[in-house]
Amino acid sequence: MKILAKYEFDELVNKWIAEDPREVVGATHDGTKFVFDDIDDAEELRLDYDLTMLSPKKYFFPQRERLVQYDTNENDYAMVQDWSEESRIIVGIHPYDLVAIEQLDDIFIDAQGDEPYRRKRENSVLIGVTMQSVSEHSFAASMGTARTETGYDLLVTELEDTYAIEIGSEKGSGLLEEAPTKEASLEEVEAVEEQKAAVESKFEKGIEFSPKQLPSLLKEGYDAVEVWDEYADGCLSCGTCNVVCPTCYCFNVDVVDYMTDEVGETRRRWDGCLLEEFAAVAGGENFREERVARHRHRLMRKGNYLYERFGDIACVGCGRCTKQCVADVADPSEIYNELWRSVNA
Amino acid sequence: MSQTKMKPRVAFFDFTGCEGDQLQIINLEEKLLKLVEIVDIVSFREATSAHSDDYQIAFVEGSISRDHDAERLEEIRSNADTLVALGSCATIGGINAVRNSQDFDTVQKRAYGDDADRIDSWEDAKPAAEVVEVEYEIPGCPIDKDEFLRVVTDLVQGREPSLPKYPVCLECKLNENTCAFLREDICLGPVTRGGCDAVCVSEGTRCWGCRGLIDNPNENAAFDVLEEHGLSVEEVTEFYNMYFGWQQTAEVEQ
Amino acid sequence: MPEKIEATDHGPVHYEPEPATLVRREAFTDGDSVFAFELQERDTLGHLPGQFVQLFIPGVGEAPFSVSSSPTDEGPFELCIREVGKVTNAIHDLEVGDTVGIRGPFGEVCDIETFADNDVLFIAGGIGLAPLRSMINYVLAHRDWFDDVTVLYGCKEPAEMLYPAEVRQWEQSDIIDFRMTVDGVPEGQTWDGNVGVITTLIPGLNLDPENTYTVVCGPPVMFQFVQQELDEKEIPHEQIYLSLERRMHCGVGLCGHCQINDLYVCQDGPVFNYEVIKNRPEALS
Ligand SMILES: Cc1cc2nc3c(=O)[nH]c(=O)nc-3n(C[C@H](O)[C@H](O)[C@H](O)COP(=O)(O)OP(=O)(O)OC[C@H]3O[C@@H](n4cnc5c(N)ncnc54)[C@H](O)[C@@H]3O)c2cc1C
Ligand code: SF4
Ligand code: SF4
Ligand code: SF4
Ligand code: FES
Repeated sequence: MKILAKYEFDELVNKWIAEDPREVVGATHDGTKFVFDDIDDAEELRLDYDLTMLSPKKYFFPQRERLVQYDTNENDYAMVQDWSEESRIIVGIHPYDLVAIEQLDDIFIDAQGDEPYRRKRENSVLIGVTMQSVSEHSFAASMGTARTETGYDLLVTELEDTYAIEIGSEKGSGLLEEAPTKEASLEEVEAVEEQKAAVESKFEKGIEFSPKQLPSLLKEGYDAVEVWDEYADGCLSCGTCNVVCPTCYCFNVDVVDYMTDEVGETRRRWDGCLLEEFAAVAGGENFREERVARHRHRLMRKGNYLYERFGDIACVGCGRCTKQCVADVADPSEIYNELWRSVNA
Repeated sequence: MSQTKMKPRVAFFDFTGCEGDQLQIINLEEKLLKLVEIVDIVSFREATSAHSDDYQIAFVEGSISRDHDAERLEEIRSNADTLVALGSCATIGGINAVRNSQDFDTVQKRAYGDDADRIDSWEDAKPAAEVVEVEYEIPGCPIDKDEFLRVVTDLVQGREPSLPKYPVCLECKLNENTCAFLREDICLGPVTRGGCDAVCVSEGTRCWGCRGLIDNPNENAAFDVLEEHGLSVEEVTEFYNMYFGWQQTAEVEQ
Repeated sequence: MPEKIEATDHGPVHYEPEPATLVRREAFTDGDSVFAFELQERDTLGHLPGQFVQLFIPGVGEAPFSVSSSPTDEGPFELCIREVGKVTNAIHDLEVGDTVGIRGPFGEVCDIETFADNDVLFIAGGIGLAPLRSMINYVLAHRDWFDDVTVLYGCKEPAEMLYPAEVRQWEQSDIIDFRMTVDGVPEGQTWDGNVGVITTLIPGLNLDPENTYTVVCGPPVMFQFVQQELDEKEIPHEQIYLSLERRMHCGVGLCGHCQINDLYVCQDGPVFNYEVIKNRPEALS
């Protein structure tokens, strides 16, 4: 663990902004809310945030992204991959979002080999931060994601006048090379541990059982129609809970032509399984026509389906869906708890 | 691929409305040049005095609210192979249909003062599809330029144009907007057809519903949300009817 | 045991389609035609029977189609496509010589080789013949590996028949028991064969259930009824395979559209073992 004075840390960040070929982005405030966005100066960082609007997932898997560009003019016929490979230094990622990115890495890179994701991800740097504030909607502690020992290149914890920095990778240590860091003392190491532990008790929400029990709970609760209906009845099928989630990764692919048939591109766009047409096919069949089937699918996918496939619970408890659902029917902790009670009644 | 290189002839017509949609088209700027590369515009009151009755695609703007409108629209229909309704008024009755749910006399007095008796206006302002057959609709007040271009390109290339089925919230979230409900405002985004890139919310206001309802809105849930944010039943209805009035009435009648 | 052919590994996914030329097309019905494509940069597609490709039409979009030719067929690969929407309409507008984009082949299929020394029963409804045809022809190309081979094919009406020339051959062949039925015969069409839904063909079969492998493909409603009949015949569920379709936007297990509970049609299917799929509530509802 390294220690760096706060002003030195700011200088270091500013040096990256000035010199590193990668764009520097971080947790900041846009006037109405916390977001990850470009920063021009370390002063814009808000490492005390509680919850950002979207997770840094958007830097590797953007909301909209060109995949292929085509030109069907006779002499220039081409259909070629054409995605951005821009990598970034991302400052201020909360542990639950680090966990979410680790899961996406497993899926996009290791399991499925998605090149547009890998190229952006591989040279990017993840700088985590120990949570200082906790959103009233978050239940990360109960999901075991309020702290993490992996998934970051650097992890920053704010102490009095300094930052304690844990190094998670060579990429991370490389970035610190020229900074005037010193080794952390035993007291500082303890202070960091205390902070991490203290955060866990700040959560107002939580699932009332171990996340390990989620896959089997969902399997058992699949037919607990009363519970699912209770939430689905109020659901607007707006897809918000999907697109704000750090672990959701469904997409659509559309063709965007440049007003001619000859030249254009395919573009993928975040999609949501709550949206009505998500599983609809030509000829009028819709495999998840009922609102409740779609509403359940998201919660099944988070707690059971993806676990069955990749071994991770795909809800990290950030609370974004809870916060953003205008109908207030998206909160996984509430729904899972209710299911738990219903199944164990 | 087989392509007809003949440029289709298109014409624009306006009825009761503010002609804001035709303005959008004039404001296409450099894309307007692209547009005229792929179609021949034979009639467009906002931009040219030339006029011809020989066209394949007719775009009609504004709602239909008088016998005379209906006759004109029928004539356009018979001239055109394809009729496209443009903007909220022509697709869902738009703001003009707000009066449908109000007392007709009061509406007339308010709009025309003492001349009210002399106006042969219908009680209802109707979308074009209530009067003639309409092949495609491009909703919005005003229309979204890119969507308009996409529909025109589709028609020229012989493809079936289609509108997004998802609500405004999707694009609103992709744009990382602060949700109106989280800044103590209200919004119709959850039940309004997307495709506008959530411009109104991106500009700091709310979604007013100008693109009409999505196919299967959860209206009870939407009403609950609005009421929970402090609107009275009357206010909810009024907000809802501003653009959805026609669709609402049509639904009740079905 | 016959040697198993291996699926092509495409490595990392970059979403770039390969150019392919339409070299032949033939209409079967008003809305169904077969299209034969040649890849411009490779000799063969390298697919397994039952796999599918993503076909991309610039300006229009991409959609999944089962390869209907068998890997044992020489020459271009074939897709049999029904006109139902944007992409399929655009495919039907193609002219010989036009270029399209192809990604794939994709999908997990059944190892037909494991059916060796057993009877094989194919049940195809409507456009479901397209994916099954690749398997049928694969089996016929290795006819001596298998015992009895039976094909049941049902379509709505005589005029809806796909691959009519091949159907005639199958009817006359003595290495395969081919039976066909139509749901009905509208006025103006002639038909001297069976009339009735496809399930009516099953009771008349003389099956050896323990030694019969079955592959079924057809519209979603068909499965349940076919399955009831197969249960009557007591065919073990592990010996029944189904080819299923869902919406697809990637073909590589990411976009999420093709999910059936925890399974992905593009990766775990499109050909599923009934024993695996039967307890997935979303599969056959
Ligand atoms: C594994 C698999 C194999 C298939 N094999 C064949 C075949 O051999 N022959 C054949 O005629 N059809 C086949 N289909 C169905 C075919 O993919 C659809 O008919 C086609 O996608 C419809 O696209 P469209 O653009 O014409 O229709 P539209 O309704 O305009 O669809 C627009 C988009 O929705 C999606 N979509 C709609 N329907 C489907 C669907 N059924 N499956 C997947 N995506 C869909 C696609 O992304 C499509 O581009 C298969 C489907 C799957 C999943
Ligand atoms: S649960 Fe909430 S956020 Fe999700 S689709 Fe339903 S209304 Fe929208
Ligand atoms: S499901 Fe909700 S709480 Fe869980 S990770 Fe996604 S957005 Fe966060
Ligand atoms: S502001 Fe309106 S459109 Fe945007 S997310 Fe909120 S409710 Fe939906
Ligand atoms: S088609 Fe995208 S996940 Fe299967």
